[in-house]
Amino acid sequence: MPPISELKVVDGLKLSAAARRVLRPAELVRGRDGFTRRLPRWFYEVPSWEVALETTLTPHFKLWEFIDIDFREHRMLRAEKQRYVPLAVTLLAAAMEAFRQEVNTYVHISANGGYRSPAHELSRFASVHCWGIAAHLYRVGDDWLDNESNIRRYAEVACGVFPAFRALPYGAGPGKTEDHLHLDLGYVTVVPHEKADEEPDEDAQPLPGGIAKPKQSGKKGE
Amino acid sequence: MRECGSAEVRDPHPPASKARTDALTHLRTPALPLPPALAPILQGGPLLTRTIGTPGGSLTHDGRMSSSKKDDEKKKARTETDPLREEVRAIADKAGAGRVAVAYHDYQTGTSWSYQGDQWFHAASTIKVPVLLGVFRAVEDGRLTLMARVHVRNLFTSAAEDGSTFRVAANRDANAEVPRNIGKTMRVEDLALHMITTSSNLATNLLVDAVGVEAIADTLSKLKLDKGVRFRRGVEDDAAHAAGINNECTADGMLEVLRTIEERKAFSKESSQQMLDILHRQQFRSAIPGRLPGDVRVANKTGEISTVAHDAGIVYPPDRKPYALVVLTEWEASRTGGRSDTIARISLAVFRRLTGRKD
Repeated sequence: MPPISELKVVDGLKLSAAARRVLRPAELVRGRDGFTRRLPRWFYEVPSWEVALETTLTPHFKLWEFIDIDFREHRMLRAEKQRYVPLAVTLLAAAMEAFRQEVNTYVHISANGGYRSPAHELSRFASVHCWGIAAHLYRVGDDWLDNESNIRRYAEVACGVFPAFRALPYGAGPGKTEDHLHLDLGYVTVVPHEKADEEPDEDAQPLPGGIAKPKQSGKKGE
Repeated sequence: MRECGSAEVRDPHPPASKARTDALTHLRTPALPLPPALAPILQGGPLLTRTIGTPGGSLTHDGRMSSSKKDDEKKKARTETDPLREEVRAIADKAGAGRVAVAYHDYQTGTSWSYQGDQWFHAASTIKVPVLLGVFRAVEDGRLTLMARVHVRNLFTSAAEDGSTFRVAANRDANAEVPRNIGKTMRVEDLALHMITTSSNLATNLLVDAVGVEAIADTLSKLKLDKGVRFRRGVEDDAAHAAGINNECTADGMLEVLRTIEERKAFSKESSQQMLDILHRQQFRSAIPGRLPGDVRVANKTGEISTVAHDAGIVYPPDRKPYALVVLTEWEASRTGGRSDTIARISLAVFRRLTGRKD
């Protein structure tokens, strides 16, 4: 059961053109709320589904649970052996582990409920799932989260043990859920050490103790 | 209208009058010599190619009938002596069915026959066979694969214009496997199997969602099946039902759906065989197969809601070519017993007529 730290971290901007078209690393996208945000740039490269099945994120969660998708995901991502998931998935896993330990029973992250690429059919309006920090739960232990009582109850538990969680309220229509619990951590991105999140910018000002001039990292997209 | 056994009664098709019932018997041109069992129907006259027996023509001024009227009367007389027609009517009357429609196509003789074959009924779960066609069309067009995984969830958008959502009621689905997978994924081929063999409404709506209502309707249209089958929505969509948006079929129309599969023309042989294999694994066997001898194989799909009970299947007697058969029945909602057996008795009557067997 290898830890996720053994997976290769890749710069999305240096992936193949086909992969970049699907993952759209570091692109600015506009959400349903009208706000513009930048998609994640750095990803774990998952060599195969078998590796995802074995890779441990936390004591109770494996990587596959956060990247299980259905036919609505882009054809390329379903056809290729290797998959990509934003680095922030580790933060989500940590938060989910806290939740899991609090409820002390099985927590099932649903298909299409973890990371979805921007090309996924359900990723319209720049879904927060494209950041890899959202989870849908249809079931906790033997409780189905398809009613107001259970959705509210487990939302309170989740937000209680991990205050950064946002839970969508029960109801029909955008911004609500009626057959599952939606939890997310906002639009969090993770930048690895020794890596940049943005292209070099001559106008960038160092903080005290920082580097005076940014390193040139080459052309975008290489 | 609640599907799968609800007691709620909302019937868009009131039972037809008996006169109307009597008026619609079809017999179409056979491509092969008729078996002895069919001879009484056809003795001494031309083969019929249109609806007969409806009042057509009128008395002339001298009291003699016009030639067209006389032809109609002759045909009507032949039709009224059709023992199968009489037997179907007797079975239906004895059981208290409101309406009955029957259609078959016999591959042994090339003969098609129907009784009230153009009457429209709520399709109930027989609509799942046309949905199966839509799924396999999507597969053949490369829009889906049988191995593709579908997220199982129980929340669907109504076909009604209000855009409301609905769920499949757990107590109305005979299948437990699909609901158990809510939140997970299931393969298209497994959902198709559950949709047909245990009539899973949840599997059906997931497939309708995956393929699309318009794409399924388009498949039926391109196959020229839309004259006898109207596909407009998933199942258990009460808001759509209240808005008059329903899936409907005629016996003749559903017969053409079965023929599309059996004759392996509109789809690849592989797809056609896969669809037949799924229909052969049907678990609901009390209607068309119910009273047939044990050596007869049947690939069928039943359908039942509060006011209708149907079965559509392809019957494979040994040592003989198969025949496709559709039996549609309509009932008062309070009359819940004996529906399947009524279809089984009609099925047996058809079987005896076509095979000459009395066992």
